[in-house]
Amino acid sequence: MQERIKDRPDDSIGLRKLVLYRDVVLTEAGEAPAQPARRASVAAVIRNPWVGVGPSADLSEQQGQVAPVLAKLLTERLIGALGGVDEIESFGKAAIVGTAGEIEHAGALIHTPYFGNLVREFLQGESIICFADTRAEAGETLIVPLWHKTHAATRSHYQTISARVSDAPRADEIVVIAAASTGPRPHPRIGDRMTDPVVSTETLEVVPS
Amino acid sequence: MNVRKIVTVVEEIHTEGGREVSRPARVAVVAAVIENPWAGQGFVEDLTPGIDANASDLGALLAPAVLDALESPAEAYGKAAIVGLDGEVEHGSALIHTLKFGDHFRKAANATTLLPAVEKRGPAGIVFDIPLKHITDATIRSHHQSIEVRISDAPHPNEIVIALAAAAQGRPQQRLAPLSTEQ
Repeated sequence: MQERIKDRPDDSIGLRKLVLYRDVVLTEAGEAPAQPARRASVAAVIRNPWVGVGPSADLSEQQGQVAPVLAKLLTERLIGALGGVDEIESFGKAAIVGTAGEIEHAGALIHTPYFGNLVREFLQGESIICFADTRAEAGETLIVPLWHKTHAATRSHYQTISARVSDAPRADEIVVIAAASTGPRPHPRIGDRMTDPVVSTETLEVVPS
Repeated sequence: MNVRKIVTVVEEIHTEGGREVSRPARVAVVAAVIENPWAGQGFVEDLTPGIDANASDLGALLAPAVLDALESPAEAYGKAAIVGLDGEVEHGSALIHTLKFGDHFRKAANATTLLPAVEKRGPAGIVFDIPLKHITDATIRSHHQSIEVRISDAPHPNEIVIALAAAAQGRPQQRLAPLSTEQ
């Protein structure tokens, strides 16, 4: 597979720009986190290969050409920004399609094995990758969800990161985003499935009405 | 100095105007979200102690970080101070408009010119543009540019965002006549 992923993403996927966002929280609510996490998103702005093709068009050909290149490019940048693949504990993905496209076009690039399986493989994860997608004008902020890359139900790692490209997507573009974190929320303390009591309408003293 | 978070943004432009940029054009920003040193103190007449306690440390923190993020020598640079709603713009200006702050970046980048700046006050999530100019000759037109930044949860009302920006080149596809041709 890897030999078939082209090295010149500008040409092969119509890449206009890449935007990396990374943050690290040093203090939250006045205290340093026990495990300070670095979080990052990488957004690629590409030409929408399906503008004007109509809702009955088969999306599979370009999907297989474009999505693998994006998966490799975005995960390489994420791994570089976060200090190595072993550092990465949680991941997520997202796409913003410009107004001349369909939300289906965003989905075609992030919801198929050509992207998801490869992102999971490059980031050495096992979980399904959580996502957000929308259609919007340039400059829209998208909240990208992240969860644990091998144990998706790990509640401490449920978190989000904002991604935004000031001048994208243009109407005929798609912004495709991969995001990751090296740890949990700053002060995780809402338990987990292993520690949760049984909660149902029968166990609650006050049942919502 | 109480730093809540550090944010890094790197933009890399591959095509502009429909044409490939011969070497992808990179601009980096590193921002520190700090507690406003004068928060809750009413009108403070003399800002010098707060400047002395913070400005040099901020410059020393941000200058190497933004050059690391750029991964190339800087050819243009700029700075920003975005003050939360309970502070004065003067508080942000106090931290960035002093040699104690700027000299760290000038030294690290082998630069000589004054750093162009944006100072404004706003809520968390405000969008701001950092202007950049050439590091040794602020009249070089090819390097006049800006980068847009937004931090979703900063500045809080009692915080200030202090940022440095660096570009590895001028604008992608820059092709304006130099200033000297009009003189």
